[in-house]
Amino acid sequence: MKVRVEKLAFAYEDFRLEVGELIFPDARVTSVVGPNGAGKSTFLKCLASVLPAPPRTIFVDGRDLAALRGRERARLVAYVPQEASFTFNYAVLDFILTGRAAFLPTFGAPTSLDVALAEEALCYVGLDGQLRRSFFELSSGERRLVLIARALAQGSDVLLLDEPTSFLDPRHEVETMALCRRLADEKGKTIIVTLHNLEMAVRYSDGMVFMKNGRVVASGPPRQTLSEPLLRSVYDMEMRIVECAGWVFFAK
Amino acid sequence: MTGSASKTRAWLTWAALALPVVLLVLSLNLGSYPIPLKAVWTTLTHAPATGPGAAPTPYADILFRVRLPRLLLALFAGAALAVSGASLQALFQNPLVFEFSLGISYGAAFGAALSLVFLGRAFPPQLAAFAMAVLAVLLVVLIAGRSASGIVPVLLSGIIVSALFQALLSLVEFVANPYALQALIFWLMGSLSQAAWGDLAVTLPVIGLGVLILILLRWRMNVLSLGDDEARALGVNVRREKALVIAVATLVTAAATSVTGVINWVGLIVPHLVRMAVGADNRKVLPLSAAFGASLLIVADDIARSAASFEIPIGILTSVVGIPFFIVLLKRSGRVWR
Repeated sequence: MKVRVEKLAFAYEDFRLEVGELIFPDARVTSVVGPNGAGKSTFLKCLASVLPAPPRTIFVDGRDLAALRGRERARLVAYVPQEASFTFNYAVLDFILTGRAAFLPTFGAPTSLDVALAEEALCYVGLDGQLRRSFFELSSGERRLVLIARALAQGSDVLLLDEPTSFLDPRHEVETMALCRRLADEKGKTIIVTLHNLEMAVRYSDGMVFMKNGRVVASGPPRQTLSEPLLRSVYDMEMRIVECAGWVFFAK
Repeated sequence: MTGSASKTRAWLTWAALALPVVLLVLSLNLGSYPIPLKAVWTTLTHAPATGPGAAPTPYADILFRVRLPRLLLALFAGAALAVSGASLQALFQNPLVFEFSLGISYGAAFGAALSLVFLGRAFPPQLAAFAMAVLAVLLVVLIAGRSASGIVPVLLSGIIVSALFQALLSLVEFVANPYALQALIFWLMGSLSQAAWGDLAVTLPVIGLGVLILILLRWRMNVLSLGDDEARALGVNVRREKALVIAVATLVTAAATSVTGVINWVGLIVPHLVRMAVGADNRKVLPLSAAFGASLLIVADDIARSAASFEIPIGILTSVVGIPFFIVLLKRSGRVWR
């Protein structure tokens, strides 16, 4: 499903987010990058309706997100937070099942069909057989995968991931981004991910959006958009783009 | 989990759910005037045939006028306090929240005391208790403000509001006449001795319906316990569903408190014990909290009316027995919040 942003403006305290026209194509991975405080997470939370974006500014498959009820919206868009920060230690299965909330009545509970979907989602992220483990026993990398599995169980076509690779070791970083890639290629999900790791963004994304001070500075396919002057203006530091054996690196 | 282990677990769950009913029946023979279990059974099963015009036997008089109403009240009030504690903990994502720490108990006690001392029950104490309990929660949410999902702001606000209502309660005690004061103090320490069918006719259906609603919302509480942002992203109408849970939890606590007085710790201890035993899933935590809360209060009432020649206020018992028990459990288990 295509996500379209039109003249989005959102402000809180002394921060202001302003995004003019932006399109996230269907079944593609788009990375939103930029320095700390650029507004990446705020933008993602607006796309997820965690923060209230004004009406007629975000459209998913042509539907105004602000005009939809919570349930309808959650069936279109799933949000994967940077970290799970809940108090109670649920079993992995119980946690993933919360992704089915949009499909269940207020007084309802998950059925065997929901459990089957949760199991399938966990298998897809490579954690089969971990349903009964408690969430707090999992490693950081496994927790991220469980968060993604919950978004999969939610069945939404658009997945928004807030810095899914932060604090992960290189192996888990690559695994998480490769999973995002597979979700777009195999399941046709539209993936929007905020990232700090530019190498990962170039390697796994179809498009990149550069943000600074709450605004989009540049956007487009990675290799066509990237330039050293752009990096300098976004990060306020000198960076060299080094290409080696088809890979792109950033020398700082 | 193997098939036999899950079957055993299912049996244990059903046994736990049946426990309060078994305890209630067994407790009917306890008290200053012991009644053999066989006589309890005969009296209970023959009561409907006796008819309203027939003179009650001493056994029937004790059972129907004294013991059955107070044990039913223990069952319902225990379930109400434990379920509302478990619900509020899930909702505020805070294992230290319960009706006392949110000011609900003292709000309800103040409302009921106002009604008892000044209005002579002209204004239903349940309604007065509920109104003040709602006011207490609103004050806590208002004081905590935007940090209402944070552990410390909610607890601090709850302490402030509890202190306010305790002070107002003291004011009522100060101006109450000596006879009303004596009754009020005994009631405030928590007692089931005031259980009368007239009060129960109002209180028990309210508690029963409220507990049922909270239990039906048990899975939703798993979602709400993840925090407002996540619940919203998962498609939940957070404001509406939180308001529903808070209103019902406040209602059942206020309804129980208006008849039993202040009985603390049940709403904190029982959900923690249940979580230690079965994990954090509210689908299990809520029904089992209801069962163990009811059982705890029935046993506490048995002790209250059998341990000494006088009746020990049940609120004192739950605190004196509950707190050390809870400390031991805290020391022995590192899985308290799970």
